[in-house]
Amino acid sequence: MSGSVAVQNSISEEDILRADMYGFLAALFRKEPSDELISTVAALEGDQSPIGGACLTLAHLAKTLDNDLIRHEYVTVFVGVGRGEILPFASYYLTGFLNDKPLANLRADMAAIGIARADGVKEPEDHISSLFDMMAGLIRGSFGRVYSVAEQASFYRKHVEPWAGMLMGDVETAKSAVFFAPAGTIGRAFLDIESQAFSMDGTG
Amino acid sequence: MVCDPFLEGKMEGKKTKGTVADRRDFLKRSAVTVAAAGAVAVSGKTASASEVEVPSGAGYRETEHVKAFYDSARF
Repeated sequence: MSGSVAVQNSISEEDILRADMYGFLAALFRKEPSDELISTVAALEGDQSPIGGACLTLAHLAKTLDNDLIRHEYVTVFVGVGRGEILPFASYYLTGFLNDKPLANLRADMAAIGIARADGVKEPEDHISSLFDMMAGLIRGSFGRVYSVAEQASFYRKHVEPWAGMLMGDVETAKSAVFFAPAGTIGRAFLDIESQAFSMDGTG
Repeated sequence: MVCDPFLEGKMEGKKTKGTVADRRDFLKRSAVTVAAAGAVAVSGKTASASEVEVPSGAGYRETEHVKAFYDSARF
């Protein structure tokens, strides 16, 4: 980021990067990765940190694996015939059933924020990518206003923290996961940081 | 290292001070800023494919500086 870009409206650079990370993870887990997404992932850079190391691994896999193989892996892990190895929905993780109470709670909070599932999207709103989109939107101010860190923390603690780390751990170790294993590592490490950062802000 | 500032306080049995400055400092030291700088192009390009939308008239805005940030960070 160049120093000439002014960061205003109380969104700090760290918060913009957090939103970008949520957006990136949402894109990765949303659907079979497009050629464009894979080529962008291939250009990711990293460092010695847990997230940076997993980024390097993911970029290497994006460069070397056949794109159709990556898409096939997505289907095997997250969609499946009948069902995938992993069902990335809050309700399923928290209750063992899809479309249960956690989804109803989320819908109530979404209504309060003034957001709704996009037309044509069939998955329930408690899909991990949809929750990551919401976190990004709260941070960026996409939903009418910028939500405070305390408000972000409240949403995160209610809808993301109780299960998303577990999901990422499952993605890391899923039987068919190769490309998605480091994606799970990135997600888990990022959520660890989020949980710790929220607990530092006097909100918890 | 991702966890340094927080773990240090914990291991010494200190209560982390709940200030915004601590949090920002922690996030700056964490790998998020490094990795997200690379991820920004991905999230920027897929923003329109989001599963969530604001119903029209709800005051949606993508602030200029965020757009400018995407433009500057895209590779």
